[in-house]
Amino acid sequence: MSATAVDDDLWSAIGDPTRRTMIDLLLREGNGTATSLSERLPVTRQAVSKHLAVLDRVGLVHASPAGRERHFQVDEAQLARAVAQLAAVGDAWDARLRRIKRLAEQIQQTQNTQNTNEGE
Amino acid sequence: MTTQSREHGPIVRDIRIDASPEVVFEVVSRPEHVREWWPDDAGFESVAGALGELVWRNTETGETTTVLMSVVEVDAPRLFSFRWCFQEPDRGGDSLLVTFELIPDDGGTLLRMTETGWREMGWEIAVLEEHYQDHIDGWNHYIPQLGAYVARLVATP
Repeated sequence: MSATAVDDDLWSAIGDPTRRTMIDLLLREGNGTATSLSERLPVTRQAVSKHLAVLDRVGLVHASPAGRERHFQVDEAQLARAVAQLAAVGDAWDARLRRIKRLAEQIQQTQNTQNTNEGE
Repeated sequence: MTTQSREHGPIVRDIRIDASPEVVFEVVSRPEHVREWWPDDAGFESVAGALGELVWRNTETGETTTVLMSVVEVDAPRLFSFRWCFQEPDRGGDSLLVTFELIPDDGGTLLRMTETGWREMGWEIAVLEEHYQDHIDGWNHYIPQLGAYVARLVATP
């Protein structure tokens, strides 16, 4: 699997609103189980388990067996990586807009120079 | 730390440009300019409803990636918008809507860019661009090329 494919999975894992809410809950409470999370969310325990499996697969959460249920924790390093990638989208637009600015100002300056020359 | 809202809210960016709205409008809406600040190639008519494409080229392998787009609204020199990153073939399904609004500002232009839509796809494109990066960091590469087509633009009424 290429680095890009891994990143795509990471992105789509965190792109789902329910999964983001689950990550928020896990961060706030330190850890949680499929049962404890489903009590806080408008989805079934089975749905929560599926979401946890997606998050686990991309390394955003880790499970530790404790008692009868698996307890999940957020992997903060992996989360930080995902958040940095979200920020990259905005950065890409910043770079494009800077290029638009420079391009437009170059054109304007050239036009001004031409007009000045024509006026002489 | 919250993970919500950032990627699903619109991206909004304002930038002040020392050029008239007419000039800025040309730069954001005409493919011959768009390919200077964004993809390696851009083909579309600057007409509402026009279908076009953006092309990225890997300079090492020659491999190209084409992303479909469609022009939504053209109102010179005030507003230009288009959709891209369609999820389904033939420009179907969700997409990202990019809107450029131009506001005259004391001889210059306040340009506002808003991108709304399916953020996940937007990020995939960000990754694509990173892989076809040359033009991002390579602005200086384009400066020498500016003269020729600026002259062409100025010659156009």
